[in-house]
Amino acid sequence: MVRRVFALRTGKLAVGILVFIAMLAILGPILAPHDPLGSTATTLAGPSGKHWLGTDYLGRDVFSRLLAGSRASVVGSVEVALVALVVGVIPGLLSVYLGRVFEWVSLRLADTLIALPFLVFAVAVTALLGNGITQAMFVVGVLVSPLFFRVSRAATLSVARSQYVELALISGASVGWIVRRHAWVKVLPAIAVALAQTMGVGFIIVSSLTFLGIGVQPPAPTWGGLLASDLNYLHFQPYAPVAPAVVIMATVWGCNLLADAIRDVSGENGRALVNSRKARSNRLAAQPLLVESSR
Amino acid sequence: MSARPSLPARRFRRSAILTVLLAVPALLVSACAGSGSAASTTGGSATLKWATSYFPTHWDPVVSGSGAQFRELALVYSALTRTDSKGNAVPDLAASWKYNSTGNEITFHLRPKLTFSDGTPVNAAAVKDAIDRAKSQKNSAIFGDLTSIKSVTTSGDLDVLVHLTQTDYQIPLLFGERVLQIASPKAAASPTTLDQQPVGAGPFIVTSLTPGTKAVLKKNPNYWDAKDIHINSVALISAPDAATVVSGLQTGVYNFADITASQASAAKSAGLSVFVQPGFNANNISINVNKAPFTNPQVVDAVRYAINRQEFVDKLTFGYGQVTDQPFPSGYVAFDPQSANLYPYDPAKSKQLLAAAGYKPNQITLTLDIPSADPDAEIVQSQLAAVGITVNIKVDKNWATPFFAKDLTFSLYGTTGRDSAVQTLTAHFGPNGPLNLSTPYEPVGFEAAIAKVRQTPLGAADYASVLQAATRVGLQSTALVFTYSSPNLYAKSKSISALPANPGHIDWTGVTIG
Repeated sequence: MVRRVFALRTGKLAVGILVFIAMLAILGPILAPHDPLGSTATTLAGPSGKHWLGTDYLGRDVFSRLLAGSRASVVGSVEVALVALVVGVIPGLLSVYLGRVFEWVSLRLADTLIALPFLVFAVAVTALLGNGITQAMFVVGVLVSPLFFRVSRAATLSVARSQYVELALISGASVGWIVRRHAWVKVLPAIAVALAQTMGVGFIIVSSLTFLGIGVQPPAPTWGGLLASDLNYLHFQPYAPVAPAVVIMATVWGCNLLADAIRDVSGENGRALVNSRKARSNRLAAQPLLVESSR
Repeated sequence: MSARPSLPARRFRRSAILTVLLAVPALLVSACAGSGSAASTTGGSATLKWATSYFPTHWDPVVSGSGAQFRELALVYSALTRTDSKGNAVPDLAASWKYNSTGNEITFHLRPKLTFSDGTPVNAAAVKDAIDRAKSQKNSAIFGDLTSIKSVTTSGDLDVLVHLTQTDYQIPLLFGERVLQIASPKAAASPTTLDQQPVGAGPFIVTSLTPGTKAVLKKNPNYWDAKDIHINSVALISAPDAATVVSGLQTGVYNFADITASQASAAKSAGLSVFVQPGFNANNISINVNKAPFTNPQVVDAVRYAINRQEFVDKLTFGYGQVTDQPFPSGYVAFDPQSANLYPYDPAKSKQLLAAAGYKPNQITLTLDIPSADPDAEIVQSQLAAVGITVNIKVDKNWATPFFAKDLTFSLYGTTGRDSAVQTLTAHFGPNGPLNLSTPYEPVGFEAAIAKVRQTPLGAADYASVLQAATRVGLQSTALVFTYSSPNLYAKSKSISALPANPGHIDWTGVTIG
């Protein structure tokens, strides 16, 4: 599937953006030209050679804070996606095989979690357990998990009712073997789409929470926190929210593009799409030759 | 015959016509909206639309306390006294007052024929009820301010006799809007109901209240000074965000608002009238000397020398604030010039003190507890980091509980001051002062110094010097490091006339709109 994703231009672009963001998360704090927490007397300065994006209300270098703030956002969104994956996929797969009671309970639980507003719930949990991005994102992950539950359950159901699975059951194959051998392979592409999409949602949630000052303790820089603080000084720096807004948008866009690309290339339809694109590009490449040969 | 325009040209023409068709009604609508908003502020409707960043949580004055919200509760409630532009106590519900010869009893003579907005008479019994309730109600936020009050009796319908535990000439200032706003005793019979359905004898009457969001008030025709109130109605609105207030003022959603210093230039650029209401604001770093490492006085001194007050002023007040190392700004009667700059900014000395106390650089790690993200905390953190003290900022939404229970080690607080300087001093330095994080610690000689101020009549020639001497003693406290005085900054539509320059208060007497 990875090769097929790279065959698409959007896939390449999405991976490029996300690799760039991941590198920022790993190397950002090291690459920052100034101490992201170090204040100076030069407050609310405009962009310059020394401070590429200017300085904030305490005289701190905005570019360095933007770089240093990438880690919290990336780690938070990855946490959301992984928690949702673990909490949602396994019960989703098992709900098809573990009997009606487990199915009924897991479905009702998923319905309940969907009904809870995750942003409000995350705020409540941080008030209860202390202000930290880890606990906030864990809760959001649990509340987003019904997406994975439903995706994995739907895919498993389609596999479970197929004739070859029935044959395997008649032949004495265990449920675990069927899940590993047949169900998981069919579920994986759908999960990959949901995972990429959830990471995008995770970025928005992390940015929203940090915008509200939830999840991180000041003066730790975050993209959402930078946006929030910029709003109070718009009269001095009307351009200030642009940089954090662009990185948030680009990251979410990258996640959504990746989700689209995976969706496009997965399954029979995906293969057909890629093949048709290949065929079309081959035709386009061949056309000038045909014109030349017709003369 | 002219040629038919090309397709792009036709499309361009079509979209231009569409744009005009859409733009004209939009402009008309916005023009109507604009004229409407202008009418509400300049057309004589005399509606005050006040956006506030501290919308009252409680409307029972006994529960609300002496914080900044008292300014909004003063729309509804009156007190026995009020203060004038010099901060002196002047008559409000009480027409006059008189001390006995020893100064341990004061009689307030009420204005006759006044009623609360529910029709209950404003009489001596109502005032006694208000004082007794403030002293005894379980959730009273002001009982600590009434330690001088022994008992209250009435004489006839209009005379209230307040018997004191000691000679105390501060009572007229204490019984002003800050501490003793008087509610109708009938409504106060159910404090829970009063808390959301306020009934007072102030200039306005609440007609609707959405808790935490909005209150609508109309002029009280029975207010004793109703002739000087020219505002017909008030919409008190909780400002959603400081960054949106100026836009709200520009568009006419509000016509009066408290603003942050960072918004002042935007408000001025928008053609609004920006002004600083005089006041007694002072911010401080609260230290608990009962907890390590502040049990060592050298560490406290190290913190004192590490603080660069000018940085707070420069970065946070945009030129509107001033440095102060006392619980009030300079120029206030209680400000002690002899104590000014006792601990100047000297990071080298701070490092020496830490070394002398046996601490290596970065060996001390403190948690700075604050209720919400605050640039003050970030400045404290960076200044202490410069001398080798690591500070971790902890935002705790439930901060008030441990702060007032004196459980915290290190915190920040900003006071809007009190009308009585004695009240300000005892709140900060008294053994049980709510702002003294180191309870029961108090500086040596503080009680005696405060008693002397209480015994000095407000008009006495030596009042200022006695008061400043008490400040001097209070500042020996190792529990507080004062940093700067933030401004009471407001922006208003130019259709609202100037407010009385009543220090710390928002007084609508004589104010006109339109």
